[in-house]
Amino acid sequence: MKSYPINSSLGIFPKSWSEKSAGKVPGNIPIWVGILSELTEFGIFFVAYFVAKFYYPDVFSQGPQQLNTSLGVINTIVLLSSSYFMAKAMSFIRLDNLKKCERHLWLALGCGGLYLIIKTWEFYWNNLQGFSTDTSEFFTLYYFMTFNHFLHVGWASCAILWVIFRLRSGAYSAKDNSGLEALAVYWHMIDLMWILIFPLLYVLR
Amino acid sequence: MKYVGKLECLLIALIAITLFNTLLGERFSSSTLVSILIALTVTYKGFVVIDHFMELKEANKNLRFLMKLYLTVFPSLIIISALY
Repeated sequence: MKSYPINSSLGIFPKSWSEKSAGKVPGNIPIWVGILSELTEFGIFFVAYFVAKFYYPDVFSQGPQQLNTSLGVINTIVLLSSSYFMAKAMSFIRLDNLKKCERHLWLALGCGGLYLIIKTWEFYWNNLQGFSTDTSEFFTLYYFMTFNHFLHVGWASCAILWVIFRLRSGAYSAKDNSGLEALAVYWHMIDLMWILIFPLLYVLR
Repeated sequence: MKYVGKLECLLIALIAITLFNTLLGERFSSSTLVSILIALTVTYKGFVVIDHFMELKEANKNLRFLMKLYLTVFPSLIIISALY
């Protein structure tokens, strides 16, 4: 039987995937399994969007015009800023500057919380306009995608709180920060998904 | 004066692109050119996050390839859908 040299991180990948050959895996392998699973899930949503748009072009042309674009833009800026704060937190932990790392994690968490508040307000605003999941095919997908994304921001925000607690208890340092890095890449993945969702639902007509 | 680093410049660029995209969508009704521009800028934004925020530029090349493939395929569907 042909045997493959294994990856030192988990031992299930061929040599071409090893850290020595392909480069360092940010965070850890399990978080990347999670990230790739999430990307698949959102990928199915995106395919559903394009199929529905093909069959109902008029509905998908009018849909974005009925949404509150300003709230969508503000949320995009908030999430981009949160990614920036997370990247800064990573740069400070590498310098062993725990105080500044924690400050930037709080800022990222603040952005996550702000996103959730704005999104909740947007759902409420939609409700006042009379929009719901069964208003049209566009709104079905809108709620499906944005509520799913909302949940991801929610539990990742809880994870930031957990990481802050761990940071305070001395679990991370310049040499050992893979847990923090795993959260950072997951948070950036959530930001990436919003980068795709925003134009599809708010901008393209 | 406070030093403005690479990450700060990239954040400003990402926000500017977001505002530009929104302006395009608001001012110009559905056109293929607008869709192509938006798709290209979405890909660019994705690549910036992948390379500089996720820090995959200097990291695992397979993960970077997969992430970039994702941020190429779905924006390409925007262009394809605009052509129909």
